[in-house]
Amino acid sequence: MTPTVVEVLDVTKSYPGSAGVRALDGVSVGFAAGTFCAVMGPSGSGKSTLLHCAAGLDRPDSGRVLLAGQEISGLREPKLTTVRRRRVGFVFQSYNLMDSLSVWHNVLLPQRLAGVRPDRSWAREVMRRVGLTGRENDRPGQLSGGQRQRVALARALAGRPEVIFADEPTGALDLSTGREVLALLREAVDGFGTAVIMVTHDPAAAAWADRVVFLADGRIVAELADPTVEKVAAQMTAVSAR
Amino acid sequence: MMRLALGSLRRHRGAYLGTFLAAFLAVALLAGAGLLLFSVLTAKPPADRFAATAVVLSGDREVTLQTVRKKKDKVKTKTKSERLTGAGTLPVDLAGRIAAVPGVADAVADYAFPVAFPVRGEDGAPVVGHGWASAALTPYTLEQGRPPAAGEVVVDADLAARGGLSTGDQVPITTRTGVRTLRVSGVAAPAGRDGLPAQGAVFLADREVPAVSGLAGPTAIGVLAAPGADRAALAAAVRAVAGDATLLTGADKVRGDLPGALPDYIGPISIFGFTIGITAFAAVFVLTGTVALGVRQRLRELALLRTAGATPGQLRRLLGLESVVLAAVAAVPAMPLGVVVARVVAARFRALGAVPAQFTVGVNVLVLGGAAAAGVLVTFVAARIAGRRAVRIAPTQALVETATAPRGGLLVRVLAALVTAGGAVAVLSFVPLGGPLGMGMSFVSSALLLCAVAALGPVLVRALTAVVGRLTRVAGVTGWLAGTVARVESRRVAAVAVPLVLMFAVNATMLLNSSLLGRLTADEHAARNAPATGQVTGPAGLPLDAVGDLAALPGVTGAAATLPTRAIVAQGGKPEDHPSQGLFLAGREAAIDLGVREGRIGGDDTFAASSYLVRQYGWRVGDEVPIWLADGYQVTLRLAAVYERSRGFGDMALPARLVAAHDPRGLVAAVALRYDGDVASRIRERWPALRVTPTAEAVRAGDAQNQQGAWELMVVISLGFTAIAVVNTFAIATAARRREYADLRLAGATAGQVHRMVTGEAAITVAVGLLLGAAVAGIVVGAFSTAQDGVFRLIVDPVTYAGMLAGVAALGMVAGALPIRLVLRRRALPAVADGR
Repeated sequence: MTPTVVEVLDVTKSYPGSAGVRALDGVSVGFAAGTFCAVMGPSGSGKSTLLHCAAGLDRPDSGRVLLAGQEISGLREPKLTTVRRRRVGFVFQSYNLMDSLSVWHNVLLPQRLAGVRPDRSWAREVMRRVGLTGRENDRPGQLSGGQRQRVALARALAGRPEVIFADEPTGALDLSTGREVLALLREAVDGFGTAVIMVTHDPAAAAWADRVVFLADGRIVAELADPTVEKVAAQMTAVSAR
Repeated sequence: MMRLALGSLRRHRGAYLGTFLAAFLAVALLAGAGLLLFSVLTAKPPADRFAATAVVLSGDREVTLQTVRKKKDKVKTKTKSERLTGAGTLPVDLAGRIAAVPGVADAVADYAFPVAFPVRGEDGAPVVGHGWASAALTPYTLEQGRPPAAGEVVVDADLAARGGLSTGDQVPITTRTGVRTLRVSGVAAPAGRDGLPAQGAVFLADREVPAVSGLAGPTAIGVLAAPGADRAALAAAVRAVAGDATLLTGADKVRGDLPGALPDYIGPISIFGFTIGITAFAAVFVLTGTVALGVRQRLRELALLRTAGATPGQLRRLLGLESVVLAAVAAVPAMPLGVVVARVVAARFRALGAVPAQFTVGVNVLVLGGAAAAGVLVTFVAARIAGRRAVRIAPTQALVETATAPRGGLLVRVLAALVTAGGAVAVLSFVPLGGPLGMGMSFVSSALLLCAVAALGPVLVRALTAVVGRLTRVAGVTGWLAGTVARVESRRVAAVAVPLVLMFAVNATMLLNSSLLGRLTADEHAARNAPATGQVTGPAGLPLDAVGDLAALPGVTGAAATLPTRAIVAQGGKPEDHPSQGLFLAGREAAIDLGVREGRIGGDDTFAASSYLVRQYGWRVGDEVPIWLADGYQVTLRLAAVYERSRGFGDMALPARLVAAHDPRGLVAAVALRYDGDVASRIRERWPALRVTPTAEAVRAGDAQNQQGAWELMVVISLGFTAIAVVNTFAIATAARRREYADLRLAGATAGQVHRMVTGEAAITVAVGLLLGAAVAGIVVGAFSTAQDGVFRLIVDPVTYAGMLAGVAALGMVAGALPIRLVLRRRALPAVADGR
């Protein structure tokens, strides 16, 4: 049994405005270190909320979140930020890169913000692995979408995080570019031993994972190990039809 | 298109708030300044002392020169005139000849002359003396007592009330011919009121008037029509007899009055003209910058519209329409605010004495509409210029993360900067900044330099941030980030820094130049009076004859009496008015030191002129120069000396006798005495009314202080407006970067780190703004200072300079760092997916 890197225990979260509607309704789920897990569900099922709560980007109304064994649900800023930047990497649909910094500076930014000496040789290695060697001095604005997402991935990996949270990382990319990014996420798990937790609505993307968790109406409704595209699609249809 | 524009405005309410605010303030200021200027230009004298007359004949009230120039076949005649501060007189026998004209019931010779009286009229109005015959012109009628006989005076009811005077009281009256104590024989008033607004009236016996006033003839003749006489025919008949006297009818009749008796709007017109100049420049400058910033921040949206099939032309129309709607809506509340601004400024100017107490602000719809239209037009043009390149944005830019406008236009920018900077250099080199135009022209040159800075902003800022940004690296990762981002985003930094440059440059120039002038004036005043032991002044001034007695006191070794006046000289057919002094020197030692550079002061039919005036007119010592005195009397005097210390004194030193005879006031303002022993106590003993002040304690002339107050008020207005512009621009720039801050937070920055980075960026922006502002101010102040006395100064007044630096820096830092605290609320975490 591999240790869990992220443990979500009985987490509830609702947003003001939509009174009574709970985005998360007593969700408990654990994510094992060094594994690739996809979170799926129809729109409004709470999958992004789960990711935000698990990553410490959002605070649950109740319940606990343990990140690498440390309870983060009770932490306040800026402590939360320091925990996050030490243990977590992010890859989002909208890349979230700093446009005024070069690719290289973007990759090193989290470590500099953390006040640690950036591990340049490791960063160069990561850049090589994501295929961006030679683009270090470009600005994100000069890159294609797929290249930007690779920068985001390199940035996430450069800090040697225990877990990478990815929210629809292929959402803005075409099919083949998306596949390249997924392959890189897969490699992060297999090659670097990083856990990846990825929210997606695309069965083809989810099929790259080791395990798929299905959410509907703020609850976990199904799980799938060793998914294939067909199995995920079938399960999604079932979940959506509920 | 209209619906699209309106919809766009509604959706981006926040983003347009900045432009709205800028347009609102700009229109309000334009409207306020416009109303003030309009009100002084159209100000009517509050009362007509000639109300009862049909026609008024007046002596000269202005000097008019005609130049005839032959150009091929055409003969061009140019007429230029300059108003007199005194009143020209008419022949003594003219009234009698006019009285004989058919239809004329009476022709009254009106003598009007300023009088120093124990009290002044309403709002400090001057008191004017007349012969009793003039009472019929208004008419004033007796409320008590009887008409004045020799040695008697009738006062108006208002003065009687203020001075607590009634029939039988003794009252001292000072004119240029001396001090007399007269007995009040009666109290008179115009129908329905106690006195005329803006002038108090005292009436002397007609026989005594020429002697008391020192006038060679009447200053005007009021013609009373016989009942039933045809006014037009009467005017024509009078004109035939009047010779070269000026004939005035209707509303123009007031112009026949003594110039000093009417509120003077010449000074305020130039002040308000200057105000509207500064305001208009600052408003246009700020508005243009804000609109451009707003357009640039919407590039992405424009690109999206392009994707949706909008042509560049449609986008251009959209931007134009939006700006018109926005500015028009902003103008609605701005116009009433403009009225308030004008009223507040007018009230303050009245309190300072910079405008006559009777001045009121009229509300004119056309002026308000004009200000609103100007605001709308400026916003529109600015939006069109800012959108010129932006609308050609490629539709694909909508798909990439950061939309960037097509670059280029560097050539245009450099050209614009060269033209404006060249203009500034030309103004600074060719306009004599030491003269009366100096202040205005130094402002014009700083405005031109500001335009150059604005045009070249991104280029200058990129160079400066490369340096300044390096310095911030010592502040760790946030400093490094701030420096890097500022260097990359030099356009944005420029957009935010330019209002800071404006704020520092305009206000520092105004403050430093006026403080320099004030100090030089005080220094010259002190140097002029250094040889004198004491200054003798009277409550209302001294008649020139009294100076001889003072100078003859045992122990007095030198005396210099000054009579302030104005004199006119001509340059190329254009009469120009200059502050001057009548100067009377006595004794074997000099009691005044004008800093004579050439020649010697004194001698019959000679005068001395300031080195500025000599340079201006190209005179040489020994030249014969025609000069018009305050009443329009023309003399030709020989230039005997050139002096340096003219500030707070005047540009010409004329023979005192001549000034006493031709300036209606004609009184000595101060006598500088050089003496040993107890002269001061003997003067006080013999003339208890006189004051003797040791030279060291003598205060400066009050006239300059009015101007100083008006000037300071303008600095306050300009500071306020530019400060709002700075805050506004910072707020717009910050609001648009919400997403960038969220990304930073996501990359692992704590809220504190983001705050520090933003503070670092603000510091860079402020440093760049202050550097450029100090450069502009330095060029202008340096040139101005060099023109004044040959000394190059940058800082002039360290306290003011440091205060300006600190004030602008503090405002910039607060404006730069505060909005981010509102954007990034303490615990709010990055809105990751929806943060656009």
